[in-house]
Amino acid sequence: MLIWHAVLSAQQQQPQRFPRPEFEGGYVFPERQYPDQRGPIWEYVDVAVLVIALSITSWMVIKKRSRKGILLMSVFSLAYFGFYRQGCICAIGSVQNISLALFSKDYAIPLSVLMFFMVPLLFALLFGRVFCASVCPMGAIQELTGFRQVRVPVWLNSTLSAIPFVYLGLAVLFSATGSDFIICRYDPFVGIFRREAPYTMVIFGSLLLITGIFVNRPYCRYLCPHGVLQRIFSSFSVRHLKISPDECKSCRLCESGCPYDAILRSDAVREDEQVSKPFNGSLPYLLIVPVLAAGLGILMYNLSPVLSGASADVRLAREIKLERDKGIKATSKAATAFLESGKTEDSLYAEEARITGRFRKGAPWVGIFLGLSLGIGLFRFTIRNIRTEYEPDRGRCYSCGKCFKFCPVKAKTQ
Amino acid sequence: MESKEDKFSTRREFVKTAGRLAAIIPLAAIPVVLSKKEKVRGYVWQIDPMKCTACEQCRTNCIMTPSAVKCTNANPMCGYCDFCPGYLRQGAKKYSTAAEDQLCPTGAITRRFVEEPYFEYTIDEKLCDGCSKCVKGCGDFGNGSLYLQIMHNLCQNCNQCAIARKCPSDAVIRVPASRPYIRKDEGAENRAKVARMMKVRPPFHKWDFPPDIELSQSC
Amino acid sequence: MTKYSDKQISAFKGISLAAGIFTLVIAISMLLSLVQLKKIDPTSNPSLQAVKDQFDRDPENRDLAEQVRAMDLMARRAYFSSRWQVETGTYLLLAGAIAFVLFRRLIAGNEKPARSLLPGRPDIIAERRNYRKYLLIAGASVTLLAIVSSFVMRRELPSPGRKPGSPPAARTTAAHPLASDLPDAVNWPFFRGDGSHGVAGGESYPTSWDGASGKNIKWITATPNPGKNSPVIWKEKLFITGAGNNVLEVYCIDKNDGHIIWTGSGLDFQGASAEVPESDAEAGMAVPTAAVNQDYVCAIFGNGNLVCFDHDGKLAWGKNIGVPGGTYGFSSSLLICNNTLLVQFDSQEKIAILGLDLKTGEKKWETARTGRPVNSSPVLATFGGQPQVIINGNPNVSAYDPETGQELWSQPGVSGDVAPSLAVNSTLVYAVTDYYKIIAMKPGKDNSPAWEDNTFTPDVSSPAANDQYLFVATGNGDAACYNSEKGDTLWSHYFNNPIYSSPVIAGGNVYFLDRTGIMHIARADKEFTLVGESPLGENTDATPAFSEGKIFIRSKNNLYCISK
Repeated sequence: MLIWHAVLSAQQQQPQRFPRPEFEGGYVFPERQYPDQRGPIWEYVDVAVLVIALSITSWMVIKKRSRKGILLMSVFSLAYFGFYRQGCICAIGSVQNISLALFSKDYAIPLSVLMFFMVPLLFALLFGRVFCASVCPMGAIQELTGFRQVRVPVWLNSTLSAIPFVYLGLAVLFSATGSDFIICRYDPFVGIFRREAPYTMVIFGSLLLITGIFVNRPYCRYLCPHGVLQRIFSSFSVRHLKISPDECKSCRLCESGCPYDAILRSDAVREDEQVSKPFNGSLPYLLIVPVLAAGLGILMYNLSPVLSGASADVRLAREIKLERDKGIKATSKAATAFLESGKTEDSLYAEEARITGRFRKGAPWVGIFLGLSLGIGLFRFTIRNIRTEYEPDRGRCYSCGKCFKFCPVKAKTQ
Repeated sequence: MESKEDKFSTRREFVKTAGRLAAIIPLAAIPVVLSKKEKVRGYVWQIDPMKCTACEQCRTNCIMTPSAVKCTNANPMCGYCDFCPGYLRQGAKKYSTAAEDQLCPTGAITRRFVEEPYFEYTIDEKLCDGCSKCVKGCGDFGNGSLYLQIMHNLCQNCNQCAIARKCPSDAVIRVPASRPYIRKDEGAENRAKVARMMKVRPPFHKWDFPPDIELSQSC
Repeated sequence: MTKYSDKQISAFKGISLAAGIFTLVIAISMLLSLVQLKKIDPTSNPSLQAVKDQFDRDPENRDLAEQVRAMDLMARRAYFSSRWQVETGTYLLLAGAIAFVLFRRLIAGNEKPARSLLPGRPDIIAERRNYRKYLLIAGASVTLLAIVSSFVMRRELPSPGRKPGSPPAARTTAAHPLASDLPDAVNWPFFRGDGSHGVAGGESYPTSWDGASGKNIKWITATPNPGKNSPVIWKEKLFITGAGNNVLEVYCIDKNDGHIIWTGSGLDFQGASAEVPESDAEAGMAVPTAAVNQDYVCAIFGNGNLVCFDHDGKLAWGKNIGVPGGTYGFSSSLLICNNTLLVQFDSQEKIAILGLDLKTGEKKWETARTGRPVNSSPVLATFGGQPQVIINGNPNVSAYDPETGQELWSQPGVSGDVAPSLAVNSTLVYAVTDYYKIIAMKPGKDNSPAWEDNTFTPDVSSPAANDQYLFVATGNGDAACYNSEKGDTLWSHYFNNPIYSSPVIAGGNVYFLDRTGIMHIARADKEFTLVGESPLGENTDATPAFSEGKIFIRSKNNLYCISK
């Protein structure tokens, strides 16, 4: 038939067009050594540093009550976990790895990542949000650049505080289905730590930092998904930062010190109050919580085809299907590559069905989680809480220690 | 009054303890569940040189600048040609180290005379930025001994490799951390062995994890 | 907390202001150099390219060469220095920012806590009532959203993509292409025989002849027009096609004495195209081999003219399936399965496989294929009771149901210029092309390669296999025998001339016809035993046909019948 010539299409051939040379002068092929990764021992060093930093911070927060100590610790964390480790292996992102490990049968999580997930939460359960205080590099960078304090109106604060819950829910859903790792992708500060990033990231991060000069800890308050977990664990903490070194006189001076409005006022039972009924008549409202959970669960179930679009495979399958059914040309690079590759469409469609199925199973749980969070969050405020002193809201207090110097009470000398 | 306050404080204490228990249980359960997974090992990203089409996107898609992707020469496969289509640009009239004849835009390939008529070509990794022009030239007209690899002293091993996301031929795959490089000079049997080890499904699953994987860092 | 004096504080303020401005300046200058970096993309520098083009047009000009060198050096220097600038810039930026922050912190630390009494919060009882309201509102709106979304979204849920095709065809065990395990000894219906496998039925075939002396040559017939296609045989009739100037013809030749019974035209029907697409002049328009069954013979020419005659030469139908815009015209041979004519369609614009009704020529189905166009021909085989037509595509080998056209499976095969057709035996499918590899795979949906080898790879010739051996002939002149199950190379032999035709396993021997017309015959066995080398005296490219103890070889202008 016909002869073809050397200019072949793809790189995919193995053309030994020119035979291996036969060297007469005793030439030896150079030994090619490829560089190795960072040794695994260093990951455990990171975990050790994490534990030590958390312990020191806990001591600073609870025993020594030193704001300066907390700030110095922040500087260290920023330097080590931020600029040196470049923000990668981080507790915030480890949530995704955990979710991927739990829900995907092929991925097994490395021990160091598991530790990075568990240790901050363990410390939160014991001592409050000491991780957020000065160990998390993102918290540290925001803490150190928060010079001014502008108060955010309560309603705005509460509304924006809902974002981290949604972020966490979606992050877990997307990483469990292996579609996307949104915490990593939209991390604003990793560009600053790496000292390079696509310029959109740098702009986002810098804007956030500049905002943080006035509205302190914007990422922690309104974006950080790990903060949701910290909040939950810290609410049940065994020991926690106390504003007053001794007895609280309810003088209210500390309120102005907390930029996050995380201080709960003392609220003793008044003379004319009737506090007989449990929950003071709010119990029926507890029933709304399951309604919220179920409702959001159903809503998320219905939204799951939209959410499954986060997966690139699903998007490709839909694009190809659109071309086959309606003739709309598939123009994306992935589609062109797929069509040229000769792969069969059946397995692509089967994959799309499988991923969408997983979203259908997982999204309702995210909805239930959001419903429960919203319900319980609102319900808490309908309960009559009796407090005799000013104390931090354990869920929301970052244990930053700013309030220490506002309290006029001096510790009893021992 | 006091008794009511006591009632509240004990109720609160009860809720607190219950909450602590409820929080501890998943925290303790997670490692137990995860440890049940057999063969806990890890992965790194790597370019499969058989699938790479030298599209030049590795240079720009990596989150690092310069890219963690570098070119290397598989000397056992190289033809040591005087006319090296990966070193000399198309239309070069003479075969020498003259700048006007070179293909590499950063001048990262060095040409060294070995013996008649063979020349040795080496890549200076400090200069290479992974643009894959030489890879295309060598693949189209030569032996295909120049190929791109992700260098693991530079790669951050992101959860989701930005190059993998955009690679048009799905050539960036996860490999066991014990075999972080897919070497072209190792011969077909070794490549087949690695391929069997990896057992990756049809390559549009970018997040597939190969079964026998080694413990490694992940972010 | 150390207290700083006022002078120190104002000094700090000054330093922090300076640091702040410094940081800003660095940031702006970095932005500018970043923009510059993007512009001087060293991999595509238009001004440098322009000078290089200039130099190409005038390569002897040393001045231009010097200019190119200077510009190239400048461009590279600029690129690396921009990179260095960005790197150093980030450090400077960091330093400035740290200085700014540090001094501001010192200032802030020095300030007395600005205690102020915040305005009192509203009445707690009222607040609690408000939250109860919020809870009710939230509950109501979420319920509403859930109900609304259930109606709106459910209707729009895209069903998991399913191809608009019929359910898988019922498995027919009757009338499938290989009705018995033994290949047909009488008919040679397609390009490489029964199923186009390259295996001939029958016990013994001639092993020695000589074109010059006429030994064992039963008859020679001159073919009116040349063509690269192989003869196909049904019972006593042999069919070939030829093409010449404005002539596309099908010839029916008597198998026993070689006389031409009838000639049919490939241009005499409505819709016939007289176009001759730009193609390799050596190959011509009559490349694809015809296909014949008990009722009809079909032929296709390089410009897409497809004709079907009955055995007596009457035109049943003719149509043009499209003049390909590609370089070589149609090259894939035809197949017939039951009453379906299978046409493998490869062109730059469209790659597909078509199933036409054999009696009427109507298109029963057309299945698009993905990948790049190839020049191989399809084969027919039955695996797992399912008859299928299998194509050596680029980069996949894919199989289709001959009745419905539905794709049955597709596995990665070979890439590049894919011209050889597949070899099949009862369990494996073999795909090969030159500059790539031989890959043996188990047919089916799962990717299951059995073995691979890249020592002997043909560029044109298609390998032939039976259940023990796989025979390969290359354009170099090498012939090789592999263990078809395991892939070990059992033997190889260098016959000095290139081999384009496909090897045929017949009567316990394997026949390799090289381009100079010499037929090399070896035992189809695990050791190499040369049985004979018989020259024809003319150049040959087409694969010979085997039928009832006779071998039919086509050269450029003649057709030979070899018989003992």
